[in-house]
Amino acid sequence: MSDSDTPKLQSIILCQSCDVAVSRQALPANVRALCPRCHSALYAKPFCTINGVLALCITALLLYIPANFYPVLELHFFGSIRTSTVWEGAYSVIKQGYYIVGIAVALGAIVAPAALLVSILLQVLIVKHGLHKPILRKYFRSILKKHLLIKQFSMPEIYVISMFVTAFNLGDFADIYMGIGTFCYVMLFILMLFLQREYNIDYMWEQLHESQ
Amino acid sequence: MNPNKPSYHEMAQGNHLNLLSCPKCKMVCSDELEYCPRCDSELAIRDESSLQKAWAFLITAAILLIPANIYPISIITKQGRVTHDTIFSGILHTIHLGMIPIAIILFIASILVPWLKIIGLATYLSAISFNLPLSKRFLMKGFHIIEWIGRWSMLDLCVISLTVALVNMGQLLDAKPGIAATPFALVILFTQLAAKVLDTRLLWDRMENKHDSNRTTKNS
Repeated sequence: MSDSDTPKLQSIILCQSCDVAVSRQALPANVRALCPRCHSALYAKPFCTINGVLALCITALLLYIPANFYPVLELHFFGSIRTSTVWEGAYSVIKQGYYIVGIAVALGAIVAPAALLVSILLQVLIVKHGLHKPILRKYFRSILKKHLLIKQFSMPEIYVISMFVTAFNLGDFADIYMGIGTFCYVMLFILMLFLQREYNIDYMWEQLHESQ
Repeated sequence: MNPNKPSYHEMAQGNHLNLLSCPKCKMVCSDELEYCPRCDSELAIRDESSLQKAWAFLITAAILLIPANIYPISIITKQGRVTHDTIFSGILHTIHLGMIPIAIILFIASILVPWLKIIGLATYLSAISFNLPLSKRFLMKGFHIIEWIGRWSMLDLCVISLTVALVNMGQLLDAKPGIAATPFALVILFTQLAAKVLDTRLLWDRMENKHDSNRTTKNS
């Protein structure tokens, strides 16, 4: 199980989609290697600016709080005013008995983005300070293994679009206002976009490998 | 295609080199190992059962697509008048109000994407199961598109949740989700699962088998 018997394997890459064997070559920044056979993405530069990721991650976490506590939309209709935060949106559907729908919305818009941010934050902190400790290495590994799943569930981009679609839809017969919550949620989405561009899971795996 | 480049039948596959890649962390290991040395996940050369699982999820999703489309997905009360809107009539409604761009977004997210996903995945899975002579590269591209667009169907559910939270003024104006909302959410879940669970390398193995029967390269 030591990695000394596999020096040659470091230079081979197998495509996850079609299993073709490709030799790894150094890539310039912002260039992705595609599989020559099936054109799936193979790998990018195994590099990420840890401090940049940390900065983006902390900013996103700070924005996460107002994005979830302030209402994202406000509706004025003949004198009555209704506001809704992201969570109230999901909860109102659950209250009507549509648990699956409510949970799906809550997961995609609130829970998974938070989990993704916390996951990246923990990874960065462990890479920076704790990879020499076996216990932290173990945590690091299990976080990394769950990362792709969390990433798949996190969909702030869809929620942003749906806020605008709702605003247009309801704007037809009522006055719709957006507030600080909308702004923070959109900013959160933009930051997460950049964060995921900057973050590189292959780099994290390599950090774990090198520390063993 | 450049004649000097090996045709894509001749490219070496991991399973011919006695190598495999870890499904979790992509590390390349010898196929004698049972657990990945880097992340401790279980290793297997191929996940043959994934094809069956993917079919099961896909068929479930296809069945659920029917109630999702014929039952109302939102119930709106406007000054005492109650209207039940299915996905389709909701979009027609938006067109009548003159909001064409919104109608296009909703149409893509809640009708086009689920149907494309189910038809696309069915084609992909049949190509593996029944050895259909379709271009693998085309299928693979389609598969990646399906993987990416699948989540956009969530748009409609998010819109419903926000609308229901905002519009609750009793007889004057009120919005509630309809019974189609749950099957619609499940369609998204099951199609995503079908795409996620499938081991796409099975498709390319089929091609390797065909290579023996001297099929000419088909380029997309």
